[in-house]
Amino acid sequence: MSTTFTLNVNGQNHTVTVNNPAMPLLWVLRDLLNLTGTKYGCGHNYCGACTVLVNNIQIRSCQNAAESFVGQSIVTIEGLSPTSSHPAQLAWIANQVPQCGYCQSGQLMCAAGALGAGNHGAAIVPFLQNICICGTYQRILQAVETL
Amino acid sequence: MPSPNDRAKGEHKNESHKVGRRDFIAIAGAGLTLGFFFEAVPRVAEAQIAGPPKNTQVNSWLNISSGGVVTLTVGSSEMGQGSFSGLAQILAEDLMVDYTTIQTVQGVPATGAAAVGNSIGTFGSSVTQSNYWTMRTAGAAAREMLVSAAMNIIGDQSRANYTVSNSVITYTPTNTNIKYSLVAAAAAKLPVPANPPLIPDSQFRYIGKTVNRVDIPSKVNGSAIFGIDVRLPNMVYAVIQHSPVFGGVLNGAVPATPAGMIAVVPTQVVAGTGRGTETTGMVNAVAVVGPNTWDTWQAALNLPVSWTTPANASTLNDAVFLAEATNAFTTNTPYSPSGPNVAPTLYTVEGNVAAANAAISGAAKAIGRFYTLPYVPHNQLEPLNCTVNYVPGVSCDVYVPTQVASSVLALVNQMTGLPESQIHVHTTYLGGALGRRIETDFVSQALQVAIAVGKPVMLLWPREQNFLRDQYRPLAMVNVKAGLDSNNNVVGWSYTNVSASILGQRGYPVGAIGDSQATEGSTSLPYKLGALSTQWITHPSPIPVGFWRSVGMSVNTFAVESAIDELAALAGADPYLFRLGLLTDARWIGVLEAVATLSNWTAGPAAGHSFGIAICAYASSYVAEVVDISNVTANSVTVNNVWVALDCYLAVNPGQIQAQLMGGVAHGLNAFLYGRQSFVNGAAQNPNYHNNPVVKITEMPTVTVTLIPNPAQSTFNARLGGVGELGVPPLAPALANAYFKATGNRVLTLPLFPNYVMPGLPNPGPA
Repeated sequence: MSTTFTLNVNGQNHTVTVNNPAMPLLWVLRDLLNLTGTKYGCGHNYCGACTVLVNNIQIRSCQNAAESFVGQSIVTIEGLSPTSSHPAQLAWIANQVPQCGYCQSGQLMCAAGALGAGNHGAAIVPFLQNICICGTYQRILQAVETL
Repeated sequence: MPSPNDRAKGEHKNESHKVGRRDFIAIAGAGLTLGFFFEAVPRVAEAQIAGPPKNTQVNSWLNISSGGVVTLTVGSSEMGQGSFSGLAQILAEDLMVDYTTIQTVQGVPATGAAAVGNSIGTFGSSVTQSNYWTMRTAGAAAREMLVSAAMNIIGDQSRANYTVSNSVITYTPTNTNIKYSLVAAAAAKLPVPANPPLIPDSQFRYIGKTVNRVDIPSKVNGSAIFGIDVRLPNMVYAVIQHSPVFGGVLNGAVPATPAGMIAVVPTQVVAGTGRGTETTGMVNAVAVVGPNTWDTWQAALNLPVSWTTPANASTLNDAVFLAEATNAFTTNTPYSPSGPNVAPTLYTVEGNVAAANAAISGAAKAIGRFYTLPYVPHNQLEPLNCTVNYVPGVSCDVYVPTQVASSVLALVNQMTGLPESQIHVHTTYLGGALGRRIETDFVSQALQVAIAVGKPVMLLWPREQNFLRDQYRPLAMVNVKAGLDSNNNVVGWSYTNVSASILGQRGYPVGAIGDSQATEGSTSLPYKLGALSTQWITHPSPIPVGFWRSVGMSVNTFAVESAIDELAALAGADPYLFRLGLLTDARWIGVLEAVATLSNWTAGPAAGHSFGIAICAYASSYVAEVVDISNVTANSVTVNNVWVALDCYLAVNPGQIQAQLMGGVAHGLNAFLYGRQSFVNGAAQNPNYHNNPVVKITEMPTVTVTLIPNPAQSTFNARLGGVGELGVPPLAPALANAYFKATGNRVLTLPLFPNYVMPGLPNPGPA
C-alpha cells in the first residue's frame, strides 16, 4: 500500500510516495530523491556508509523507515555545504584523506555531526566508528585533529 | 644502502617494454592529439589476457586543444590508488604545463578516434610503474611538436632560441611568447619526434613531490559517481539472488513476477565467467527487476525460488577442503606436459626436492611447519553492480566499476554480437576493488537482464551476495622444512604450497613451473638457503578462487617469513640480523636496514611491546615492515605501529605512496585478524561485515613510511616498482613474528580471531 509524505532534506521539503512504508531513508534518498552521495554498504548497521545527520545526530539511514523522519531536519553529504567548504570537507582535502572514497560521505557526516555538537579534535574520534577498507583512518585522525 | 650501480643491475631485470617512437600516434582532430598504448602488467601478462601491444593500438591519449585545454584520457580505472593523478603529474613534467590544469578523463575501450583500443587492466600494482616512461615521453614529444610549430611561425629553426614554461613557448631573442593553444592545431600536422629530450631529474617540478589528487574534491561532497550511483532515464533496478549452495541451480520453473515487480529473470553462467563449480550454462541465480532498489531487494528476498542441491554438496565443507589439501602433500601426480594434470598435480617450481631433503636430513638443527590459510573474501565496500542500456542491433552502453574495461568490452561483444564500435564501456569510480572487479560475472548477469526486460537496468548484488558468492583468495596449506648447520648457516630449504590454481579456474594453461599466482613470493627468494626446493601442488577447489590484493604473495610471504623467523630463533639470532646475514642483494638489504632504522629495532620496543619483522619483493619493488604489538590475549591484540620501508626505484608521489601502504597494512591486518569464509555443505556461512570484520579507526596502527630516496638521475626506460599491493604481504608474517616474540607461540593458522563478531554501530533512530 503506497504512502506519501514530506521529508525535509538539506533545507528543502520533498514529497515522496513509497510503495512500501518500510522503505528506509537511505533508499528514498538514493533512488527517489537522486541524492546518491549517501552510500549503501551493508544494509545492517555495520559499516556506516549510509550515515546522515538528523537534527544533527548521526543516523544510519539504512536502518529506519524514511517516513519515521517526517518533520525532522535531514542533512546529507550534498547538504553539508553549498560550496564544499564545510570545515570537515576542507580538512579532508587538506589531509588528502579519501582513497576509493566510497565510505567518505559517511565518515564526513560523522565528523560534521560531532563538530556540530561542539566536539573538537580528539573528542570527535569516538564518533568515528564507520569502517574504511582502504585504511584512510590515520589521515582521518589527522584531519579531525585540525577541527 | 644500494649504490647506483647496484640499483641499475636490479632494475633491468624486469624490463619488458621500452618506449620508442612507434608507441606514439598523432591523431587527426581538434588541436594536438597523441595516442599511445599503455601497458597492463604484470598480472595480465602472466594471465595472458592481453597480447603484446601492437603499434596500431591506442588506449590513452593526450589532447591539447586550440583553446589551450590539456586533457589526458586514461584507460585505467580509479579505485582509490590515485593513478589518474600520478599519470597527470608525470605528464606535466615534460609537457611543461601546470599539473593542476590537466583534465583527466576516464577512457573507454574501442573508441572511433583511433585504431581499436584496449583498456589498461588495473591490477598488479602496475599503472604508474608500467607507464611512467610512456607518459614522460608523450609529454616531451607533444612539447617538441608544439615548439616546432612555433619555430615555423617565428621562422628561426634554432631550438636553442626557445624556452618553454607553463604552456608558453618563449622565443628568447625577441622575448616573444607563444601559447600552446595558438600552435596546437599546427603541431598536430608535424611528425612525432623520435627521441624527444626529457627533463633532467634535477629540474623536476612535480615528480617525487607530494601533490594533491584530482579526484578528492568530488569524494568529499558526494558528487563522485561510483557504479551504484549511475542513473539513466527510464532505468529499472535488478537485484540478484544466487543459489546459496555452490553448484546448485534453479529447481523447477522460474517464479512468477511478484506484485509490483517488472520481471524475474533467471541468469546463467556465461562462457568465460564461471569459476570452480560454476559451469557455462548453469542457471545459478535469478534477478528480480523492479522500480527501485529497496522494493526489488525485498521481493528478491521473499521470492519463492527453489534450488537444487548438487550431489557433492556434503563434501563442500571446510574440513573436507583441509583434508584434501593435507592429503595432496603425499598423494599427487607429477605434472606431465601431455596432461591432463588433474588436481592434485605436483609442479616442481624451483630447485631439487631430493637434494633439499637430503640437506635438511643431514642438518644439525631443523624446522618443519605446516601453515594453513583459509579462503578469504574480498570486502570492497561498494557492492558489485553494473548498469546496462542495450538497444538490440544498435548499441550497448555499460556503466560499470571495473578493473578491466577491455574484458567488459569483449564480453558484451561475445554476448550481443555487436561490433566493438557500437559498444560503449563507461568505467565509473570503483568503491574499492581488491581484485574482485577484474571479473565479469556480474556484468554478464546485468546484460542478460537488460536483454530480457528491454530497458536500461542496474543490477545490484546485495552485500550478502558479495560475501557468499565470491571468488576467494585460495585456501592454502604450506609445508616448510629447513635446516641449519652447526654454524647456523641455512643448508636446506624445502617449500611446498598446496592451493587451487587461479589461472587454471580461468582456463589458462598452467605450465611445468605452475601458476604464477600461486607461486609468487615462494620463488627467487633472496636468502642464502643452501639446497632448495620449491613445489606447488594443485588443490581441487570446487569453490571459486580469484585475484586478491597481492594474492599469492600474501600467502607465500606469510609462510616464508614465518619460517625464516623460526630459523632465526633456532639459531638463537636476532630476526633482523639473521635476515641481514642471509641477504646479498643491495636493494633487499637496503629496505631491511631502512626499516630497522625507522623502527629503532636495535633499541627495541617499549616495555610490554613486541616487534616482528618481515620483507618481500613484488612488482619490481622491495618492502620491509616492522610491527609493534602489545596486550596480547586469547581474543585480542593491540597493534600499535607498523613501520614500512619501500624501494620502488622512483617515487612519483610520496604522499600517495604512503596512503597506498597504509591501505596495504589495513588490508593485511583485516585478513590476518579476521579474514576467512567458511563453508557448510556448499554454502558460505558469513554473509555480512559482522562476521567478516575489519579494523576500525581505534584499532588501526600508526603507519610510518620511509622511501628509499629517488636516484639523482634515473635511467631512461628503467623499470619503476609498483606500490598498490606492496603493503600487504609482509604484514601478516611481521605480526605473526611479533606474536611469537610476545607469547612464544607461532601463528600457524590464519586468521588469528576467526570467531570475532564485529558489533553494530550506534544508531539512535528517529527522534
